[in-house]
Formats: sequence, C-alpha cells, structure tokens
Amino acid sequence: MGKHVVVIGAGPAGLETSASLAKLGFHVTLVEKEDVSGGHLKKWHALFPTLLSGKDALETITKGLDSSIKIQTATKVTGLEAVNDYFTISGHNGWQEKADAVVLTTGFQLFDSHRKEEYGYGIYENVITSADLEELFASGKAFVNRHGNKPERVGFVHCVGSRDEKVNNLHCSKVCCITAVKQAIEVKQLLPDAEVFCFYMDLRMFGRHYEELYKEAQEKYNIQFIRGRLSESTEDRDGNIVVKVEDTLLGKPLRIKVGLLVLMAGMEPAPDTKPLANMLGLKNVSDGFIQPLDEVLHTNSTEIPGVFVAGTCSGPKSVSDTLADARSAALAVADYLKS
Amino acid sequence: MGELYNRLADDIRFVESLKACINCGTCTAICPAAEFYNYDPRVIATTVQSQDDEKIRELMSSDAIWYCGECMSCKTRCPRGNAPGLLIMALRSVSQDMGFFTESEKGRQQLAVKRTIGDQILASGYCVRPDMVDPGMHPEQGPVWDWEHKNLIPVMNKLGANYNGEGSGALRKISQDDLDELQKIFEITGGQERYDKIEEFSKEKAAEMGLEFGTDTNSEYFQHIYTANNQKHNHE
Amino acid sequence: MKLEGKRLIWQDYQKEIADDHYFYARSCIRQTFFPGAEAVFVKILKDELGKDIHDEQHHTSCTGIGYHSDVVPFDTTMTVVARQFALMTEAGYENYAASCVTSFGLYTEILDTWHHFPEKEAQIREYLFKATGREFTKPKNLAHASDIVYKFRHQIAAKAKYKLVDKNTGKPLKVVEHIGCHYSKMFPHKGIGGAEYPYVLSGMIEAWGGEVIDYPERRHCCGFGFRQYLVQANRGFSLSCSKKKFESMEPYEPDMIITNCPGCPMFLDRWQYALSEMEGKTYGENHNGIPVFTYEEVAGMIMGYDPWEIGLQVHQVPAEPLLDKIGIPYDSSRKFKGKNGEDLGMPESPSYLKFYSE
Ligand SMILES: Cc1cc2nc3c(=O)[nH]c(=O)nc-3n(C[C@H](O)[C@H](O)[C@H](O)COP(=O)(O)OP(=O)(O)OC[C@H]3O[C@@H](n4cnc5c(N)ncnc54)[C@H](O)[C@@H]3O)c2cc1C
Ligand code: SF4
Ligand code: SF4
Ligand code: SF4
Repeated sequence: MGKHVVVIGAGPAGLETSASLAKLGFHVTLVEKEDVSGGHLKKWHALFPTLLSGKDALETITKGLDSSIKIQTATKVTGLEAVNDYFTISGHNGWQEKADAVVLTTGFQLFDSHRKEEYGYGIYENVITSADLEELFASGKAFVNRHGNKPERVGFVHCVGSRDEKVNNLHCSKVCCITAVKQAIEVKQLLPDAEVFCFYMDLRMFGRHYEELYKEAQEKYNIQFIRGRLSESTEDRDGNIVVKVEDTLLGKPLRIKVGLLVLMAGMEPAPDTKPLANMLGLKNVSDGFIQPLDEVLHTNSTEIPGVFVAGTCSGPKSVSDTLADARSAALAVADYLKS
Repeated sequence: MGELYNRLADDIRFVESLKACINCGTCTAICPAAEFYNYDPRVIATTVQSQDDEKIRELMSSDAIWYCGECMSCKTRCPRGNAPGLLIMALRSVSQDMGFFTESEKGRQQLAVKRTIGDQILASGYCVRPDMVDPGMHPEQGPVWDWEHKNLIPVMNKLGANYNGEGSGALRKISQDDLDELQKIFEITGGQERYDKIEEFSKEKAAEMGLEFGTDTNSEYFQHIYTANNQKHNHE
Repeated sequence: MKLEGKRLIWQDYQKEIADDHYFYARSCIRQTFFPGAEAVFVKILKDELGKDIHDEQHHTSCTGIGYHSDVVPFDTTMTVVARQFALMTEAGYENYAASCVTSFGLYTEILDTWHHFPEKEAQIREYLFKATGREFTKPKNLAHASDIVYKFRHQIAAKAKYKLVDKNTGKPLKVVEHIGCHYSKMFPHKGIGGAEYPYVLSGMIEAWGGEVIDYPERRHCCGFGFRQYLVQANRGFSLSCSKKKFESMEPYEPDMIITNCPGCPMFLDRWQYALSEMEGKTYGENHNGIPVFTYEEVAGMIMGYDPWEIGLQVHQVPAEPLLDKIGIPYDSSRKFKGKNGEDLGMPESPSYLKFYSE
C-alpha cells in the first residue's frame, strides 16, 4: 500500500492508533513533543477500576508497536497544512514530513487548579491535586501531608475545573469521579484510621464496575460521600484545611477540617489542539475539544477528509475508551486510504 | 409559567441572577445567612426555577426571602454564574409590590426599614445620620457612642466634620433644592410608590393584628415588628 | 501558606486607578461613625500628596443602604446614582472616588447593568432629565477611596513617621485585613487582588511594615447584612457573623484589624464590646479588645497625626494598646475633650472591656 500516516501525540491514543495502523500495513510516523512517549498515562500509579499499574498498562500498549513505526520524540508539531491530496506536518525543530492522512491524538491538559482561587492550590500546602496524589502514591514514600503529618481526615473535591462556568469549562471530565473513588480507597488502605470524604455534585459511575467500586468504597472502606460542591478552603494555624460545603441532601452548610485536600482536576483540551485544528480549518466546539464529523456515528472522522481524531483531544475519556477509540480511528483511516 | 414568575422575569436583576441552577449548594456553603438562619439560597434558586407560581407565592409570603444579608458572597462562587442574593432582591421587590411581605414576621419588618432608613433618605439626603442612631435603640453601640451622641456637635466639630453646616464636608446639611431633586427622582422612578405600598399593606396588616399603626417609629405596630422574634428562624 | 501563590493571583487583578483629579463622594456611614477617617483621606491627598480632590456639596446618599434593604427600587437607585454622575460631570471631573464600599459596589453593578442593557441606561438618563434637568457622562475611572490610598501607599510610607512595627521587639505587627463584601465579591476584576485574596489592604499593610494574617474566616462577612442589623430583632445575625470572625482570628493574636468598608469597622468594634458585656469575653490580652481601624485612620496614624484629631477616641475598643506598641505618643487628658479643650464629660467604662482615659 505504501500510504503514510502521521499521528500527532504519543499518549495512549497515539500509541494505539499507530500500532493498529502499522498492523494494517501503513507507514506510520508518531510524533511526540516530549522526550518520552506515554502521555498522561506515564504519571498514573494505578488505574481504575482494577488498580492495574499504570506502568504495566503503558508497557503493554507500547509492546504493540511495530518496529516499522517511526517515533519522532522531542518534536512539537507546530505546522499542519493540507496540500492537494496530502498533508505537510512540521515540528518546532525543523522536522517535516508529508502524509496521506493525519491523526490528531494531542490529548488533554490537566486543568490548572490555581485557577480555582478559592480552593487555595499553590497557596495552602496541604491542598494538592489528584495528579499530585498519583505522584505521591507512585513515589512509594510514606503517606504524609506537606507538614509531615499523617492526615486524620482527607477530602476529595470533585469537579475542579469541570462543570464550572467560572473557569469557562461547562463540560464534565468524566474520569474524575471514578478516580476520586479509586484514590479514596487507596488512601483508606494506607491510612485505615483516617476519615475520608468525597464532595461531589453527581457521581458519574459510567463504566463497568465503577458503581461496584463506589459501593465498595462505602461498605468496605466507610468513605463518606457528601453531596455538595466545595465553596472554599482556608488554612488554620496548624496547616489543616478548613472547607465549607453544603450537605445538600440534609440542607446543612458544613465546615470540615481535613489534613489533606485533594482536588480532582479536570481535563481541558491540550493547548496545541486548537491552533493545530485552526490551521486545518477544523471546527472546535466551544469547549475547545475537537468536534468529530458526527458525535454519534463518525467519532473519528472530521469534516476534512484525511484528518482524523482519537482519544481525549475530542473529549474526556478513560484509557479503555481511548484505546477503543484509537483502534476505531485506525479503521477509519484505513477505510479512507483504501478508497 | 405563571404571572408571578413573569413579574420576576421582568426584573433585570433576575435575568442576571438565575440562569440554570444545578442544586450544588456552593452558594449555601458560603452563605452567612445559611449559617445563622434556617435558610438555604440553593432552595430559593431551585424553587424559583420550578416556575411554579404557587410555590413562588408561598416563598414570597414566607420568612425565607428575608434572611439574606445581600453580602453577595454567593455571586463570587456559583459555578453557573447565578447570584441568589440578587435573585432575593427581585423576590423581595415583587413581594413588596404585591403585599405578600406582610404575611411573614421578617417581611413585616420592611415597614421599620422604610420608616427609618427609607424616610431618612428623603428627609436629610443621608441614609444614616448620627442623631438617628439612638443609643436606646442601639445598646450595642456602647458607652463611647452614648457619650458621642450626647456631644455630637463638639465631637463632630473636633473630627473635622461640617455637622449640619452649609457648603461641603462630612455631615453637611443637604440643601432643600437637592432634597427636592431626590424627591422628584423617587416620584418618577417608582421609589415613592414603593414607600407608599409598604405603608398601605402594612396598615392593612396592623388593622388585622389589632395594633395601632401610626406614622412614626413609636407606634404599636412599628415597635412590634421592630422587635418581634418568634425564635423559629434559626437552626436547632 | 505560600505567599508566592497569592502574588500570582494578585497579578491577575490589577486595575487602573486615576492619578489625580478626583470627584469625592462621601459615605453616610463613614461620616456618621468615623468622620475623622474621611478628613484624613482628604488631608493626605491634598496636603501630603498634592492631589486635586473635589469635595462635592450637592451629592446625597446613593440610597445604597435603602437599596440593599430593599425599600428603594433599582430604578430609583440608578437614577440617584446618575445624579451623582451628573454632579461629577458638571464639576468638570471624570474620576469618581467613592468613600463607601456599598456605593462603590453599586456603581460597579450599575455600570455593568448599563453595559449589558443599554436600553436601561437610556431610560435612566430620561428619568434623570425629567426629574432634575441634568445630564451626565459616565466616569472614566471609578475607584474606591481605598484603591487610591493603595495606589499611593509607597509615597505615604516614604513620608510616614511610624511603621506598623512593634517598637519593643522590632517585629512587624500582626494585622487582620477585612474587606467589605461589596468591594470585589460581585465583580472580582474591579477590586485590587480580586475577590478571593484582595490585595488592596494587604498592599498597604506590607508597605507600612506590618504582617498580614490569613485566618480561616478571613472572607466571611462582618455581619452588617443591611436589614439584619437595621432591625433590632435581627441583630443576632450580625453579632454571630462578627463573633465567628473573632473566634477564628483570635489564635493568631492579631494586634489590629484594618477595614476598607464604612460599616465593617463599626460592627467589628461594637460587637467586641457587646460580646464582652454578654459573655465576659475579650479577644485581646488583659481585657483589651482587638483595635479596629479604617485604612485612612491607619494612614493618619503612621503619618503622625494626633490620634484624637483623627478620631481614634470614638472607637469603643481602645486604640491605646496599639499606639503604645508602635510608640505613637498621645495625650490621655485630651482624649475626650472638645476641639479647644472644652470638657465634654467622659464615656462610662464598660464592665469588662478595658477602658482608657486620663
Ligand atoms: C488525574 C487523572 C487520573 C486518571 N486516571 C485514570 C485511570 O486510572 N484509568 C483510566 O482509564 N484513565 C485515567 N485517566 C484518563 C487518562 O489519563 C486518559 O484517558 C489518557 O491519558 C488519554 O490519552 P490521550 O492519548 O488521549 O491523551 P494524553 O495522555 O494527554 O496524550 C497526548 C500526548 O500528545 C502529546 N502532544 C500534545 N500536543 C502535541 C504536539 N503539538 N506535538 C506533539 N505531541 C503533542 C502530549 O505530549 C501527550 O504525550 C486519568 C486522568 C486524570 C486527569
Ligand atoms: S466525572 Fe465527576 S468529578 Fe469529574 S467533572 Fe464529571 S461529575 Fe465532576
Ligand atoms: S451555587 Fe448556583 S448552581 Fe449551585 S445551588 Fe447555588 S445557585 Fe444553584
Ligand atoms: S447574598 Fe444572601 S444568599 Fe448570597 S451569600 Fe450573602 S446572605 Fe447568602
């Protein structure tokens, strides 16, 4: 066949799309701006709902890569141009290639929790994000807060940077509810005596066995789920975090003191997604994620023939969603290049 | 959509204050009134959102809409860009225009506000003046205020105020021409009408309660509404 | 607490503040309770900084307290505010400086409303013309008086005789800053530092040598709540709010509280007295309270103005312990005297809160 596809972004989506395309016989170049591929998955210690190690998951995905695939790391794609029936893709470092089709797998960026000013991230030491917590788990260090204490209470704040017009993100990030449940259980396993709270608006347990994990969190681990969105956090003299939240099911405003507060930072479109999409004349919907041709039927094609999307650059997804989406993107590309 | 809901929707502040509420409680969590009173701005937002006129009427006739302190802390935080405090202002306006306010203990207090702050604005051009803060009505002001109140002229003079004087400066006398303009503005823009309605509806209520209505702050009705507290407003 | 985190946020909330030529609108509450504060503001701007400030005699209450206790309709309030703007226009000014935070919040709200609903602005212009024959131009620059003091905080520091420093230990005084809710909670971008970590007073405190305390109830309302204080039956609300703040700040042992809103210093001052009478509780050591000041008074204090000229004697929580800490001299025998030393008697001593006289 000899057709050439460039895949932009080597996270789970890019890796899996490339592997699948190579298996289908295409020449693939996978471009990644970082030195190492793996995207966000590199950072996750254990994955919901099974607690599969993130490292193992990444290894397995990477193993699927064919030696024919050219992996161009440390190259940030900054140029994308449709020329007649091919595309020119160029990187910040002068790298350039032509391709018959392009797959955008630029992923997401973690919401910058500093922007939720009222939660005090970056100001109060014991306010951390879900990503920081994964790092702490992965480090294998003793589970203590930034003051070196074992927290007696730990709070998880859902929807940080998601479902929030104050930060211009109306969308739900989909994975943070289940991530909170997973992390709450892990905290409870490390600190069986700690009280653990999840502050949520809706629990979106959309995947297989997520609801079961939630139930386990309640029954086996006695994690407290309080339906209310956090309004603010402050610090007391001992470095504890005092949060204000309403228990909306009881109709009671609460003040709760925790030793560690974890913000479930949401997903935003990766910063390069929009400029790259704009270069091709692709529509981004108002939330900044790329709009596929049809959200129900044609989730990997775009309105430009030869341009495809996979993974979280078209909206929040779990790893398993992302991988399935990547494989389906490969088929869509094959379909296009065959005709 | 009923008539009451439509009236609310006519208020600019309503448009600005309620888009769609997700019942998340962010407003309540931060609300000083919710901490003190049996009050929940989230419930106010969802009740109005139901567009159910019967429920809205009930709300406007209840104590609930009178607990808010209009600090607007809720506006800073609502993830949907709502502002229950502003919504409350729209509800209170309609409640007063329709006369529902006299049906609740806290609502009835509007006459007291009107006869103190409200009337003071038109009479002096100030919403508050030192002579108005009577130590008897304000024991919490303490002995220093009591002393100051007894010595208003020399103290104000010492502190550089132009108390009741001509020209500019703190606490200067506001001229009759300026007051006339203020009065005219109130007449043209509905301010006077609001005052009159508060008086009228309150008068009816006073008759119903068998209390002397009067025109000042010494009447039975005024004294009643100013101090009555059935102790049913707070959390257990 | 990491101050750098706050500094990053502060960078996002800078606002333009005019450099000179202010149209000054006074505050009813400020004039009533702390008229000395306004006098200090005018004096510092005029005499120390050489600024031009127009002290308008024809302006009235903005009706803000009536508006926020809901007896005055929005249209009426907007038209009264439009009249203030007309007075500014007629006086040849375009920089509006409001002494009151309620007013400042209201002006901001009204300008925002007119921006979104230009037909409303047109209607208000009509009302105003009909009622008064006046017309107006909207202010080019709208500032709260604390914004202006903030802007010149370093110049003031350069001229100051004293610092917010304990003269015995050489350590910065621990200062609680309390920002009026309507300063930036409604429109965070209109306040210096935003709504969550307002910098307007923190900036002054830093520039004048003090150290700002961050305590859990920092953002809580003082408890004015308009009708919640105006009507006697509701005052429990007001008291409970202030109390929550005192309890929360007490462990940090603050030396003083600085406020930027006209009402807050009065409540934070008086409720300390009320709590001391009701519960025998004071929040400073040795039956002292935590002295509460307006930012103007603090500016005047460090400039070395006579404490009794700027009105520190009309605070119920005595200022003396703080003046002693800084080393500001005062003549106790003149505290409760008239302008020319005439005898005005003396307030009674509270039962619990320490009282200072000759
Ligand atoms: C806190 C948190 C925990 C999570 N935990 C789990 C979990 O336990 N289980 C689970 O299933 N899912 C989890 N997820 C979701 C998971 O991270 C995503 O599903 C997955 O990372 C999506 O992969 P992706 O390839 O679409 O995006 P990414 O992982 O973001 O990868 C995108 C890649 O594109 C690269 N890139 C971007 N722009 C350019 C450019 N211009 N040029 C070159 N390269 C570029 C990036 O550097 C990156 O390597 C979690 C998410 C969060 C936020
Ligand atoms: S998944 Fe849950 S926490 Fe995440 S944005 Fe959606 S509702 Fe909020
Ligand atoms: S914060 Fe906003 S969305 Fe949430 S309950 Fe209050 S009004 Fe509704
Ligand atoms: S404005 Fe009213 S409802 Fe909003 S936080 Fe303040 S008191 Fe509560």
